[in-house]
Amino acid sequence: MAEAIRRRWGHFRRQPVFTGFCLFMAVLALNIIIQTPAKFFTVSNFRILLSKNMPLILTCLGQSVLMMCGVLDLSTGIQLAFVNVIAIMLPQELGVPVGLGWACALTGGVLISLFCGFCIVKLRLPALLTTFSITYIIKGVNVLIMGEPQGKVEKIIYKTYDSVLFGFLPFAALILLAVLLIWQYIKRTRYGRHMYAVGNNPRNAYAVGINPERVQMKAFLIKGFIVGLAGLCLTASNASGNPLQAEEYGIRSLSACMLGGMNFGGWGTLSCGLFGAGFLVIVQNAVYYLFNFLTKAIQGLMINSYWQNLVSDTIIFLGLLATIITAKAQRETLKQGFVKQLKRGEKYGG
Amino acid sequence: MFEMRGITKDFDAVKALKGASLSVRPGEIRSLLGANGSGKSTLVKVLAGLVKPDGGEVFIDGKPVRIRTSYDSKQLGIATAFQDLSLIPTMTVIDNIKLNKETVGHFGTIDVKKDRRDVEELLKLFRVRCDLDAYAQTLMPSTQSMLEVAKAVYAKPRLLLLDEVTATLHHDEIEGLFELLRKLRDEGTAIVYVTHRMKEVAKLCDSATIMRNGETVAELARDELNDLDGIVYHMTGKVPDKAKACGAQAAAAEGEALLEVSGLKYSPKVRDLSLTAYKGEILGIGGLDGQGQSEFIRLLLGEFQPEAGAIRYRGKEVRFRRPAEAVENGIGFISGERNREAIFPLRTIAENLFVGRTATGGLFKFIGNRRVNGFAREAVEKYNIKVGELEDPASSLSGGNQQKLIVARWIAVMPELLLLDDPTKGVDIASRREIHQILRQCAQKGMTVVVSSSDNDELMDLADRIYVFYEGRVQALLSCEDKTQERLVAEMMGFAEKEERANG
Amino acid sequence: MGSGLRIRRFVKYNRPGMALVIALFLLLITVLINPKSLNINTFGSILVQTMLLSFAAAGQTMVVISGGVDLSVGSVMSMAAVITTGIMQGQGGRFAQVILATVAMGAAIGLLNGVCAVRVGLPPIVITLAVSYVVTRLQYVFTGGMPTGVAAALFKKTVQYRIFGLIPAATMYAVVIWALAFFLIHRSRFGKQLYLTGNNESAARLNGINTRKIRVLTFVLSGVFSAVAGVLGAGYMGMSQCQLFDNYAYNSLVAVIVGGSLFVGGVGSYFGSITGSLVMIVLSNGLTVLDISQPVRNLVLGLVMVILLTLYNRAKPIRQ
Repeated sequence: MAEAIRRRWGHFRRQPVFTGFCLFMAVLALNIIIQTPAKFFTVSNFRILLSKNMPLILTCLGQSVLMMCGVLDLSTGIQLAFVNVIAIMLPQELGVPVGLGWACALTGGVLISLFCGFCIVKLRLPALLTTFSITYIIKGVNVLIMGEPQGKVEKIIYKTYDSVLFGFLPFAALILLAVLLIWQYIKRTRYGRHMYAVGNNPRNAYAVGINPERVQMKAFLIKGFIVGLAGLCLTASNASGNPLQAEEYGIRSLSACMLGGMNFGGWGTLSCGLFGAGFLVIVQNAVYYLFNFLTKAIQGLMINSYWQNLVSDTIIFLGLLATIITAKAQRETLKQGFVKQLKRGEKYGG
Repeated sequence: MFEMRGITKDFDAVKALKGASLSVRPGEIRSLLGANGSGKSTLVKVLAGLVKPDGGEVFIDGKPVRIRTSYDSKQLGIATAFQDLSLIPTMTVIDNIKLNKETVGHFGTIDVKKDRRDVEELLKLFRVRCDLDAYAQTLMPSTQSMLEVAKAVYAKPRLLLLDEVTATLHHDEIEGLFELLRKLRDEGTAIVYVTHRMKEVAKLCDSATIMRNGETVAELARDELNDLDGIVYHMTGKVPDKAKACGAQAAAAEGEALLEVSGLKYSPKVRDLSLTAYKGEILGIGGLDGQGQSEFIRLLLGEFQPEAGAIRYRGKEVRFRRPAEAVENGIGFISGERNREAIFPLRTIAENLFVGRTATGGLFKFIGNRRVNGFAREAVEKYNIKVGELEDPASSLSGGNQQKLIVARWIAVMPELLLLDDPTKGVDIASRREIHQILRQCAQKGMTVVVSSSDNDELMDLADRIYVFYEGRVQALLSCEDKTQERLVAEMMGFAEKEERANG
Repeated sequence: MGSGLRIRRFVKYNRPGMALVIALFLLLITVLINPKSLNINTFGSILVQTMLLSFAAAGQTMVVISGGVDLSVGSVMSMAAVITTGIMQGQGGRFAQVILATVAMGAAIGLLNGVCAVRVGLPPIVITLAVSYVVTRLQYVFTGGMPTGVAAALFKKTVQYRIFGLIPAATMYAVVIWALAFFLIHRSRFGKQLYLTGNNESAARLNGINTRKIRVLTFVLSGVFSAVAGVLGAGYMGMSQCQLFDNYAYNSLVAVIVGGSLFVGGVGSYFGSITGSLVMIVLSNGLTVLDISQPVRNLVLGLVMVILLTLYNRAKPIRQ
């Protein structure tokens, strides 16, 4: 039994998600200490954490789906705002019923994601710079649709979104679970395997008969759906519209995936995005409570809120560097183990 | 019955295939032989759907077929095991073998248990023992090669293409593999076996097709497979030469050693290399593709760092961390892989010529256009490089002139040790002769030249002594009377009279 | 040679010249649509703003030629501006301190960018973007969101004053900076190695160039040039705000690419970046004159880049 556990652990250690898992656990522990377990492990704390941050978490998941296939999309963030403005403006300006309006917003999210996919996969433009430029395009479109932040959302929607079911399960968590469940299914289909193969080595995947272009476009489709959901969550969470929000979710989701252990080229899974997102969320939370504690503990210490953001951004930046360095170390040990095997092989008449 | 006729393929300026043909019947193991650059890998890639031919036709059972993608190739019953492997490094063994052939179970998900059973059976058949859940990149090269073949066989193809799959296999594994291949042949599979190991051809194959320079030059039957001389003749196109008079060897014998390499190791290609280069000599390095020659050159250059062994240069032990250090110490590098390693296509001819001077010297020193152009004009005249304007981009030159440019670039800087890696690949005869002449003059002036080449004529012509590399070790050192074409080819093929190594 | 052929050659091969033509063309259109914009003041301000952008583009040119991107240009400029007004506080005689502080800051940020991009191996876009966020946050932290101080009066004059109302006094800065950039990129060994590194990194490395050093150096120089541009920018605006010059990051990139540098590196010229800057300023000016709203501007900017990428920067397919 112990042997099986040890083997499982050894296998887990070699997975890319291991770094993300460690980072997440570290900051989680820190956060629990700072916020005190009494205040951390409350339903209301979980509810706030999850519902406020669900858009970001979902965005990170979507980005990880793309990175698994070897592509990415920096404009993912502003796409949330796109979904948001459509969801608000359609009912508000055109009198479309809210349900239909939101469905259209979701579709809009999917379509714009497919547009990005078209540029990167079919036109073969450089992913980073192209999606960065597309951010400007979407920013323009958003403001054209909705000039100023405005709009409101029916009370029942945002109340539901912020609610807690059965006394302990936040509604936002339900959405996350739904997405994770759908992913568990996709992972077990042939397509799931193909995504992985294409991300890691498109040429070899092609040699086996897989069509990398189709696989990558489908990834953009899936990500569009997830981002659409995220945009709707954002709408429900803020209960209003803002055409220029969430732009930085693009680079942050990219950082999250990398923190979680992913690399540019299909080494990593959705859980990397999940742990990376968790890291981002918990770091911000921990820093907030830390500063709270410091201002209370040390008399007369005035720290403006800018320090908070700086500290959390710096921690995330350092985490990013740490991930890359550990990834390099992982690759080195991989190569070392490889060389050792060769040496062993040679001893036995190689 | 699989047939290819008149296949042509150009890669930019290089004519890889010029009307090649190949035919193989079910129940036949046909070997595909050819020297480096003969086009055999490209031909296999055409059948596999990875390369689109510019001309020619493929027939299956007399009917013409179009192979547009690798998917088409699979549909037609063709499976390929590639020399450079088509495994996905970060996927497990099971996932790799079953890739695109996964069994679908309930609700469209993959039936993982059945997949595992299938793969277990397959690996038992191949007598491969490895952890099914291990990532492909963590396995030994020999295991990876076996898996590559297993993957292809698993597809139950009508035509099995094997491209240099035994390069990393141990003796027993090769035996086991051959047994399996014979069984497949008896069951009616057609097999094409690309290799450079003559012993394997004699042991396994029923027939052979020989390629040279992109064309098919001969088709041999079973009884002709043991005639090594005949095969060499087809592969090289000429009758082996008598040895040339050994004049320049004197210089080497007297000279001091500029370069001494001992026990050099760099996985996986370089196993244990030791050699010496003397001042003022032209040292040749021969052997088939991929026996460690280009890795060796790069180890000297400092691009790679050796895992073991020592390099003594100018009498001192050195360890260059990057090529820039080597260049500062009087080493120059000329590569035949022009596009990747030597030519700057978008820069002007003048700038390309000036690279030797650009690389060394104060970083913020003024370099005026007059200086660059003056240098370039001299070089163009001296080395007879045909250019349009000096401001034209280097990509506008022909292959031969590009190569002359690269040579001129380094000769002008007069390094002590000049390393060349297949310098006249794809270069026309006239330019080749001119380059050889330049190199000989430099050696006379005291420059040490180490030239690795896949062209045996070039080695015979240029080099005073030739080291032959085989699977990461020095197989032989040829000089004077030993330096014959026959001996060279024999050593290259590992067909030595010496004791056999375990790797076959 | 027929004039038709000459024209086609010009269009295809002389990108900097083409950029100049496009800039003049856009200017013409703007004037035609709104004749009131045809005045000395507008031209003067176009000239000064082009100079400012070209200073920021100097570093960007080097980075792009070496095959990278620097999106921290804007945040470094803003930070430099904040530091400038913070130190000057309207007093003269502190110019040396300002230059010292800002150049040190720019070089440090550039070094960070370079080391992360080259040694750690993160893609330059991601790294410079992440660093730009941190630098922006630092601005807020140092100033509490409201930078104090203004540029010294004399200094302001040297940037804002225009001889005969047209020729900017800032030209004297331009002469120095343009000469320096031109030397570095076109007449120094560093520049030659830069082009080779960008055009074919493996060939450059194997032929003895220390490509790592070159690439890190480009980021450091970019930081320095951006800092200097920020100092002069503070002089131009007279005061500073957080994130004042953030759009210079993207604008300098577009200017460099319009001016003929390839995104993949190895090709480009500083003259092209200067004319590219002119195009950007004229375009921006035109959009303002035509009273085009900010969102449409964003749209146009994004589209321009995507179109440029489609025309000049597509990758090869898998099957040959």
